[in-house]
Amino acid sequence: MSKFYFSGNEAIAHGLIHGGVRFITGYPGTPSSEIIPAVQSLIKQFSLKAFADWSINEKVAYEIAYGACLANIKSAVTMKQVGLNVAMDPFMNSAYVGTVAGFVVISVDDPGPHSSQTEQDSRFMAMAAKIPVLDPSTVEEAYEFAQKAIELSEKFSIPVMLRSTTRISHGRAIVDIKDFESSNTIQPHFKSSKDWSKQLSRFAATPKQRLELHRLLNEKIEKIAAQNKPKLFFNGEILVLSSGAVFAYIYELIEEYGLQDKITLCKLDIPYPLSKEKFNFIEKFNRIISVEETYPVIELQLDTEGRRNGLVPKQGEITPEVCEEILEKLGLIKNRKTLQIPPLKRPSLCPGCAHRAALFSVKKIFGKKAIYAGDIGCYTLALNFEATDTVLNMGASVSFGFAFSKAFELGNKKQDVISIIGDSTFFHSGIPPLIDAVHYRVPFLLLILDNQTVAMTGNQKTLSTPHDFLGQPLKTVSIEDIVKSLGVNFIKVVDPYDFQNSLNTLKEAKEFLKKNNEPAVIVFRHLCINTKQGLQNNPKIPVKIEKELCKGCMICIKEFECPAIVFDDEEKKANIDKTLCISCGFCINVCPTKAITLI
Amino acid sequence: MKLVILGKGGQGVIFFSRIIAQAASKKAVSVRSTEIKGMAKKGGTVEIQMKIGEGLSGLVRRGTADMVILLSEDLIDYAKTFGSNIFMFTKEEIEKALSSVPMRYVNTFLLGIFVKKTKIFDCDDVSKILDEENKKSFLMGCNYVQFSPGNSSERGN
Repeated sequence: MSKFYFSGNEAIAHGLIHGGVRFITGYPGTPSSEIIPAVQSLIKQFSLKAFADWSINEKVAYEIAYGACLANIKSAVTMKQVGLNVAMDPFMNSAYVGTVAGFVVISVDDPGPHSSQTEQDSRFMAMAAKIPVLDPSTVEEAYEFAQKAIELSEKFSIPVMLRSTTRISHGRAIVDIKDFESSNTIQPHFKSSKDWSKQLSRFAATPKQRLELHRLLNEKIEKIAAQNKPKLFFNGEILVLSSGAVFAYIYELIEEYGLQDKITLCKLDIPYPLSKEKFNFIEKFNRIISVEETYPVIELQLDTEGRRNGLVPKQGEITPEVCEEILEKLGLIKNRKTLQIPPLKRPSLCPGCAHRAALFSVKKIFGKKAIYAGDIGCYTLALNFEATDTVLNMGASVSFGFAFSKAFELGNKKQDVISIIGDSTFFHSGIPPLIDAVHYRVPFLLLILDNQTVAMTGNQKTLSTPHDFLGQPLKTVSIEDIVKSLGVNFIKVVDPYDFQNSLNTLKEAKEFLKKNNEPAVIVFRHLCINTKQGLQNNPKIPVKIEKELCKGCMICIKEFECPAIVFDDEEKKANIDKTLCISCGFCINVCPTKAITLI
Repeated sequence: MKLVILGKGGQGVIFFSRIIAQAASKKAVSVRSTEIKGMAKKGGTVEIQMKIGEGLSGLVRRGTADMVILLSEDLIDYAKTFGSNIFMFTKEEIEKALSSVPMRYVNTFLLGIFVKKTKIFDCDDVSKILDEENKKSFLMGCNYVQFSPGNSSERGN
């Protein structure tokens, strides 16, 4: 046993490997992205026979990992909560079909939300799919529950969800980790099993057989619910039921305020499935309240107070401060201090980011009246300089390009429509709507901002990466070859740092769209400067501001929004912040009075 | 002990906090923390909350921090929501750090100043955790406090 100061995601990775999982796929998404890299480190360290790498999207990741479990290899898939939406089809179906070797679905939620489109509750999705879910309250439990999830899956031949949240996955604690001792043999089997004909009726089930599978699933869920035992703490007349990170906050507050004789705290390691019969002891309490993130999963199963009667806020992270507020509403504490939290500075694209350069050029040619349908990635931050009008979910920029263009065409109105998507997001879910746009001859401009990495979530690999984490060669996939193969006739590749070429290509695309009823595609390709290779290869063009030429028009601040250009309010002139500037030199193109010059 | 460490992406705040956590783990049974860093690379705020030797979670309730370590002065109003005991670095200290060590070791220079001034941790204990380059920078920070006149007492409250 050794002690490590691990994040929840590192703890999960170790739990999976210690639980015998040898096949792990996923798609990056904050706050889940560190699990696969931590698994890869273990594979390297112990020379394990295993597969752990990123997939093109969550649906594919789910199907690959789940397929491996059907071939008798303990498997897991990782994603963030909105990624689970993408994987919903196999997620729902795999519950019916069940597993062969253990299979864990790791979905990390983001109550708040801190960096997500929604603060949906993966436990709720698990309940909808009839898949049991474990919800760790501490980093130590993240390690322990990853192993428990595999055990539970193997025991009942059912996929099991391990739900984590930002506060667990990006929390840290000293965790006791078992010394590594595990066999390194993989024994796949599929058609070779003795009861193959019986197995076939679930692996390739017809609707009639699906009905039977549903019955079997219900039986499994009832058995798991019957064995699902609560853990009780303290001894009061008010019962608070909880799971996940929130349990820890309430436990701490009960101790801090000395409420041990007022509240009984009930911890549910497995918040779904619960059996009402098993929980009939709760009826003896004066009040029964569920405090959980972020949807009423325990509350609905046991019909308690909570979100539905307004005791627990219906949205937002249940922070320790919110738990304190709930205790005040219950009359258990008084004179709680409330504080005004000042807003924090909004994030921006990095200094030198090629996305900024590309979008600056696009605005030059298409102006403010064009519709900019954005997507999920760093370039969402183009909101700051008015080069993004919509952000829905992965791939929707391309569908919206279709939608807006068609809508204005139906109304006989001319409208420039620009869809903006990153390389990884294009592969993830931008290709199917582009096929539709080609097929239905819808004219709009699709910009694929290709920085050869999944930058927003910590620079994970993409399909342009030529080798895996072990250095083994991979076949790279060309965006422009895919686009051409779909029947797109206007496809150009430009380096966005090449300002003049960018402007010319954009003008050309504009002309093409006027004359043709079909989409045009420009790939703006430049390595992410947030990677070692990208920064090393970037041009070095140090710049300064000629004060006498700067008129204080703020175009460089408002239209370009590079964090390394700051405005001096007293002087009424722009300045270069040398600690942030990476000397990309692109801002020379931005200043209308030529005040930004080479040093 | 409840600590909050605040700064901006690129300042090495997370590294700074992890060294504190490692030093704390030598003194306390439990060290727990939570990191908000999603937009850190984009100039966003990096917020680390930490509990040493207490609690089940790493979260520090507003108004209850024993100390807030502030690496970015413009976050002062936000820092105050966690507690009144705020440790800040002076302009001279930051300039000294910037002029003494390469950019990537500025955070360990400042860590040296913090450790020497607050005396929560022992300089020798912390230096054992660091690799050679960080150790050099850290000790320079410690020495800067020790040998600067009028700079030997805790301040910043």
